[in-house]
Amino acid sequence: MEPTPDKFLFISAVLFVCGVVCMTTKRNGIGILMGVELVLNAANLNFITFSRFTPLGLDGQVFSLFVIVLAAAEAAVALAIALNFYNNHLTIDVDRGDELHG
Amino acid sequence: MTAEIILFWLFAFLTCAGAILVAVSQNVVRMAFSLVLTLGSTAVLFLLLGADFVGATQLLVYVGGTLVLLVFGVMLTATGPFTRIKSSPADAILSGLIGVVFLFIVASTVTAVPWVDSEDGNDISQKIKIGTHTKSAEGGFNPAQQGNTTRPLGLSFLSLRADRDLKLGLPSELSAESNTAPVVPGASVVMPGVTPPPKSSVPPSTGYLLPFEIVSVHLLVVLVGAAYLARTKRRATT
Amino acid sequence: MESLGNRLSTLLAIAWLLPLFGFVVEVFAMSWPNANRKSKAAAYFAIFCIGFGFVCSSIAFYEWGNGTDWAVFKAVDHGHGEAATATEHGDHAAVGHADHEHKAVTHETPKQTVFAGTFYNLAQFGNLKVSLDYYIDSLTLAMFVMVTLIATCIHIFATGYMAEELVNDYVDHQVHTHDGGHFHRPGRFYKFFSYMSLFCFAMLGLVLAGNIFQVFIFWELVGICSYLLIGFYVERHSASTAANKAFIVNRVGDFGFIIGLMILWTSFGTFSFADQHGTDGKVQPGLFSMARGHDGELAKTTDGKTVVLKTEQDGHGHWEAPAEPSHQKTITYTLLIVAGLGVFGGCVGKSAQFPLQTWLPDAMEGPTPVSALVHSATMVAAGVYLAGRFYPMFVPEVLLTIAYVGCITAFVGATIAIVATDIKKVLAYSTISQLGYMMLGLGVGGWGAGLFHLVTHACFKSLMFLCSGSVIAGCHHEQEMPKMGGLLRKMPITALTMLVGVMAIAGLAIPGTSIAFSGYHSKDAILATALAYTKLNPIHFLLFVVPLLTAGITSFYMFRLWFYTFLGKPRDQHLHEHVHESPWEMTGPLLLLAVLAAGCAIGGEDGKLFKMLTFSQPVGVADGVDGAAAHTVSLPGHTAIHESHSTAGSAALLAAFIGMSISYLVYGKGVINPADIKRQAASVHAFLANKWGFDDLYDVMFVKPAHVVAKFAAAIDKFVFDEILHTFVRMGIAVSKWDRKFDEGVIDGIVNLMGNSTYSLGISLRNVQTGKIRQYVTFIAVSVVTLFVLLFALYPKG
Repeated sequence: MEPTPDKFLFISAVLFVCGVVCMTTKRNGIGILMGVELVLNAANLNFITFSRFTPLGLDGQVFSLFVIVLAAAEAAVALAIALNFYNNHLTIDVDRGDELHG
Repeated sequence: MTAEIILFWLFAFLTCAGAILVAVSQNVVRMAFSLVLTLGSTAVLFLLLGADFVGATQLLVYVGGTLVLLVFGVMLTATGPFTRIKSSPADAILSGLIGVVFLFIVASTVTAVPWVDSEDGNDISQKIKIGTHTKSAEGGFNPAQQGNTTRPLGLSFLSLRADRDLKLGLPSELSAESNTAPVVPGASVVMPGVTPPPKSSVPPSTGYLLPFEIVSVHLLVVLVGAAYLARTKRRATT
Repeated sequence: MESLGNRLSTLLAIAWLLPLFGFVVEVFAMSWPNANRKSKAAAYFAIFCIGFGFVCSSIAFYEWGNGTDWAVFKAVDHGHGEAATATEHGDHAAVGHADHEHKAVTHETPKQTVFAGTFYNLAQFGNLKVSLDYYIDSLTLAMFVMVTLIATCIHIFATGYMAEELVNDYVDHQVHTHDGGHFHRPGRFYKFFSYMSLFCFAMLGLVLAGNIFQVFIFWELVGICSYLLIGFYVERHSASTAANKAFIVNRVGDFGFIIGLMILWTSFGTFSFADQHGTDGKVQPGLFSMARGHDGELAKTTDGKTVVLKTEQDGHGHWEAPAEPSHQKTITYTLLIVAGLGVFGGCVGKSAQFPLQTWLPDAMEGPTPVSALVHSATMVAAGVYLAGRFYPMFVPEVLLTIAYVGCITAFVGATIAIVATDIKKVLAYSTISQLGYMMLGLGVGGWGAGLFHLVTHACFKSLMFLCSGSVIAGCHHEQEMPKMGGLLRKMPITALTMLVGVMAIAGLAIPGTSIAFSGYHSKDAILATALAYTKLNPIHFLLFVVPLLTAGITSFYMFRLWFYTFLGKPRDQHLHEHVHESPWEMTGPLLLLAVLAAGCAIGGEDGKLFKMLTFSQPVGVADGVDGAAAHTVSLPGHTAIHESHSTAGSAALLAAFIGMSISYLVYGKGVINPADIKRQAASVHAFLANKWGFDDLYDVMFVKPAHVVAKFAAAIDKFVFDEILHTFVRMGIAVSKWDRKFDEGVIDGIVNLMGNSTYSLGISLRNVQTGKIRQYVTFIAVSVVTLFVLLFALYPKG
């Protein structure tokens, strides 16, 4: 029952898979963004876990900080894009934004 | 069963449940709420792993900032009948199948890895315990003041590796061979008595000053860019 | 002396080249698109060119006479000589001939009389030198004066005769178009005169030529001028056919000419008549020197089969055969005969001798001045001239052939002329007949006589042709004599000048005096030579009898022509009413030529003309040749000829008077109706009217077989070569069809397959590019899963 690294990593894997599933199923653009956040969090959890259990040390925490910062930035830009998308299509359904289909 | 273990299992469950809810929920507001739950639980997991600064940042930035941003997005775009956009069952089944397979692969990989110390071959989970401050903790970053990572992180952003080069924050027993002077917690880098590592050792570790600056500028650019993009423009069709 | 040669060559070159200049100017200036077709400028320019040529020729003649102290007229009177004088004359001629290029050896005649040299070197191929040479002796000068004078007269005459061409739209009434109308074309006045100028240039070049190759060049040029002028009314089928006929028949003769040239070149190594001064001071012997040397004898070997050429000079500068056999250059005697016959073949063609005489009557399709200049006076005379010029190269066998050919020609031509009704055709046949006379004269050894007749004939025949032209113009292009008659009153000048011409050709004279028309003298000279010849060679008696008979016939048909045309009652009243005398530019030349025709031979063989001509007589002719062996012929010397003069002259005169009398009785008085004779001798008449059937004979002999051969060749072409070619082509088509199939099936298939597969791949991949972001994420996820699965499946355990 000890919280061993593999358990943390499993949680991370669940987060990651949920994020991916979120990205593949959600037609709402905001939902996809949320999936991305989940994936990033999964990565962060991995970083912190390895920071704790391996000689990676403080570097893992530094990287997770960078990831958080970048996720925030990404969220801001992605939301701006989502707003533009909404402005152009009057919907946030990403399936409608297939003008670039082959 | 210590409190740490209980907390771990609780928040592990919350994290996974929130994530699954995010994935299966069709209502974007519920998704947002579940995401709050997941991110907050993850922050607690970070704290449990001794990353107090990162956990706090997670709460502040994610739960307090990013999620508010997301909810704003939801509100700005959710108008009338378009609030609920359903996925097709086929998509859901396909994605779920892929997700299950993916999870199975990753889980099997994770469980297949023997978490042992590369030097002595002992199980690493036996040496390093969550929420403990054992002296025997080796290999990982296990500072003396468990969870007090703010100062080393700040120093690393100033290109000073307190954990590596100064052995700062390590138990005094561990650094006694190299440092004769007593280590004063919270001491600045210029304080007397702190001697540089011997010349014969590896060159100084790299800090994160430059990435920090780059990320700062990056954030500024993103801020400007996001503001520009989100600006309400006159639609061409109207 | 050298300067005299230079002056002579310059003068004659001017006379020679001016017509060429005129031709160029007329052709290029007058065919300018905006040129005035009503202008007579071309005629005046052409007259100027040829007239100035006449002036130059006369001056050259005068210069030559002065330069030689008029030795030509002081020459020993060979006519009344004993054997000694004849020999003396022989020396004379020998010197004149053999020693013309280097210092005279004999002190008797220090003056140079023959001038030869080179104008321009065209090319040099090894030993073969092709150059423009000149060879000037008294014959050249006489020919120059004669040609330019007659040509000038004819040019002036043509100015009037061709005046109807001075229009922008000439209607040719003899050419019928498909819609029943007549052919219209621009007038070709200038073109006529440009051709005439070109012809004069060619003829003078031929006379002036100093080597046989140059002669050949101008020979062909004369031929092409003849072709152009006969075919002047090219739209008339008869005219274009006649032009072709003349040209092709002449080619037959020229073929022999070329063979002769080749033999001469191979054996003698030079074309030049006269000796050539090389740049190194060496003197190369010319053709005449090599063949005859200074004594006029062929240096035969003892067996008589080979002739040694005289290529070495002895101490006196005489050309002699080398004594050393290794230095000798020889020619087979047979080859020399063949060469002579070949060159004479060219003369046969050009001078319309039997058997190539058929083209000349057809050549009357050209305008009448052309007939006068080209086909009576000069061009046909070129053959006789060449035979005379080339005389030293002819061995007795060849001369015998020439004599017989001339004899037959004279007789055939005369007989056909009896029945001809077209006024120009009568004159054409008479021309053939007279040319036969000239050849006969040359052949029997009368070198001077033949050329004498050439000059006199040129005068009176051009006169008669111009008169006929005047008649034709007056009768509005009616040429048939049966439609004429009684024209004496309408066109007196023409009629009287024509009478002069007729009397001249008939050879009339007042017996017992020396007053005689030119034809009498020349014909007398020929007949006398022929008589002397038959005395020496009794087996060839026909060579005297036939010409004598022909002389009578000639007199008959010429007077027939005159009586028919100018006396009696008009047979076509309508035509008669519109007849008018010709303008002055036509009658003027008639009068001048009438004077010449009557008097150019004054004095006969003692006259200046004959002396002038015989001054250039080849070595040895005067002496005659004794046939040593039984099978060879003998040639009479001057003495022998002179002895025959009175007999021959009387006989000829008698024949002429008889002919004239019969003609007067039949056509003048109408005592005998010619139609009765025609009925009684219908077959003879038909035979003669059919021109002895030569045309039919040639048709059967050459044209029909040629057609058969052509058909056969065409059949071979069609059924063999065409088939082979077609088979090849079909094979090619089949191959290319298969090739096409291969191309379309395989090559195109491969290319299309690649394109199609790429296209379909793109189409199918295009479906993947949905543009849906969720699908892309799904793909990524699937890819990652797949990668992991593969990694696990393939990565070696442990």
